[in-house]
Amino acid sequence: MTRITMKERIVETDVLCIGGGIAGLMAATRAAEKGARVTVAEKADTRFSGSGATGNDHFLCYLPEIHGTDVEPIVNEFQLGQQGSLRNRSFIRTWLLRSEEIINLWDNWGIPMKFNGRYVFGGHAFPGNPMYHIHYAGKDQKRILTRKAVEKGVEIINRVACYELLTEEKRVTGAIGVNTRKDELVIFKANAVILSTGSAIRLYPASSTPAWMFNTRLSPTCVGDGRAMAYRAGAELVNMEIPVFRCGPAYFARAGKATWAGVLRDTAGKPVGPFVTEPSNKYGDPVVDAYQDIFLDYKKSGRGPVYMDCQGLSDEDYQQMLYWLENEGNVGLLDHLQEESIDPRDKPVEFRSYHYELFPRGGIYYDEDGATSLTGLFAAGDELFGGISGAAVFGWLAGEKAAHHARNSGSTLGAIDRICIDTLKQNIEAMRNRSVGPGWKEANICLQQIMYDHTGEIRSETLLNAGLAALKRLKKKSREGLIATNPHELNRCLEVLNLLDVGELILVAAEERKETRGKHIRSDYPFTNPQMSKLLMIFREDGQHKTEWRSIDHQ
Amino acid sequence: MPPVVNEETCIGCGECYDACQSDVFYGSENEEISIVSYPDECWHCNACVSVCPTESVKLRIPLPMMVLYQERTVRSRERSSRA
Ligand SMILES: Cc1cc2nc3c(=O)[nH]c(=O)nc-3n(C[C@H](O)[C@H](O)[C@H](O)COP(=O)(O)OP(=O)(O)OC[C@H]3O[C@@H](n4cnc5c(N)ncnc54)[C@H](O)[C@@H]3O)c2cc1C
Repeated sequence: MTRITMKERIVETDVLCIGGGIAGLMAATRAAEKGARVTVAEKADTRFSGSGATGNDHFLCYLPEIHGTDVEPIVNEFQLGQQGSLRNRSFIRTWLLRSEEIINLWDNWGIPMKFNGRYVFGGHAFPGNPMYHIHYAGKDQKRILTRKAVEKGVEIINRVACYELLTEEKRVTGAIGVNTRKDELVIFKANAVILSTGSAIRLYPASSTPAWMFNTRLSPTCVGDGRAMAYRAGAELVNMEIPVFRCGPAYFARAGKATWAGVLRDTAGKPVGPFVTEPSNKYGDPVVDAYQDIFLDYKKSGRGPVYMDCQGLSDEDYQQMLYWLENEGNVGLLDHLQEESIDPRDKPVEFRSYHYELFPRGGIYYDEDGATSLTGLFAAGDELFGGISGAAVFGWLAGEKAAHHARNSGSTLGAIDRICIDTLKQNIEAMRNRSVGPGWKEANICLQQIMYDHTGEIRSETLLNAGLAALKRLKKKSREGLIATNPHELNRCLEVLNLLDVGELILVAAEERKETRGKHIRSDYPFTNPQMSKLLMIFREDGQHKTEWRSIDHQ
Repeated sequence: MPPVVNEETCIGCGECYDACQSDVFYGSENEEISIVSYPDECWHCNACVSVCPTESVKLRIPLPMMVLYQERTVRSRERSSRA
């Protein structure tokens, strides 16, 4: 058999966006508007990639015409909500204050942000509290954002996944990409790099079906590449140890819960939560926003399962719910319901938590300008959880700053780090030419087992130490033995190597956080320690993991 | 094994191959019927179905993902007895 070798291609640009999801496309468009030469390197195809591939429908925002001129009550509400603990008030305020501008842009570009000419608020809210998520029709968002970026002169390179950042004395100077369809390395030289690779999925078993690996809540091709690259390059990551999980229909994970208008009821039809008794598109049932363990608790106490019951929803409201589900990218689910003759008004749908699939809400620490702790490196979107609105707003801001940096940094595109490129090339060629060894899937499943058992729902020092030792063994075996029979599998192998790095960071950070907080449950430290209401930073120094506690107000 | 391509009507335009983020159609050739090489990597996002100009791609939802529900008869009985 002839030996496979990797060809090389060099691409030079001012601003490189790694990942053309919501944040990446917004960043690219803005940087190009600001006069930069911009390239997007995208693992898939930006028209249908990432978690927003075929739509989303809730956009977090502050709209003065509706909320009034004072943003502070909405900042307060935000801080009580899902992501409040990761961000300081100033960051949240900026996010909210810039959201209206993005809503107007999107509406102008052809993503309908209003319904019948007006803003419609829905979901993620408790009756009586201020509402700050509008419904929007996002099903064509990726095609529209791609078109906009191209119009502004952005170069989009699809089917190239970046795997390593190039650095020169703590300054990021580019990245190495790997073509997912042919044996080719793409070397990017850039003055500024924006990481926007989305979330870190496939670390843990799939949401509700451990044996069905790609049945995940968020995109299963967003696997923490950005976090792993940033970490290896020396950037700071934050709160990697505090996980989240979601809930939704058993067992169609991508469908989620936010757009369902029904009431969650027990088998006898009694509402399980205190907030709603009638179905509505406005609230759905917010009980799970406050109490995710309800499904497990019902199960343990002999009262399960819990059902999403849309009985009583008017025809008009039902049609509206279907419309939002369609725009949320859930046509696959709707077709399935229709084929199986499941009308959730007649047949309450079993809901459950997707508790196997923990994913870190934490990630690359970026500030209000999208800047990270490394010069020339920016990040946006789900690199540190923010949903669609966070991705759009901070993508936009990061694009602006990155263009500014590229213009003013005074640096010319330097020589490339040959050692880094050659090392990666050697490893890749070894994977492509080995004939016996584990494939990526074996390594990924093994990682998921180790993660779930040692840093899953329950954690302790002894479990975490055992997990770390196991993970290190797996890492060594994977680095030395993985085989990839084609470029597609090579991409999956590289994904797993990144996941192993991200998994290790979670184990280390989870050991350091000696308390219980949210879903970071330490059986050896069973309470929430007010003194640890802080950010836990993790970064690499002299080849070692370093952790550092910082106040949430640190910028 | 999602997705499923209707070989009678597929015109080999490659739209599904371009759209799929997981690249389940990996290895499909230009102007030939799309092949499903990595069915287990489907995320059921429906992009392939939505772009097909001849409605030749359908998702077949795998059994482990089957949506479960409560039979109406049981519920109606419970509901009416509560009323
Ligand atoms: C069905 C569904 C419904 C949702 N609904 C909502 C909602 O209503 N409201 C809300 O706020 N949020 C919602 N979300 C979450 C929302 O989609 C994400 O928060 C959002 O897409 C994040 O944007 P992002 O740009 O950070 O990441 P993504 O949009 O996921 O984009 C990441 C991009 O990076 C690419 N990529 C990954 N790794 C690499 C690499 N190594 N090299 C190059 N490219 C790479 C990916 O292919 C992808 O294009 C929903 C998610 C799903 C799945």
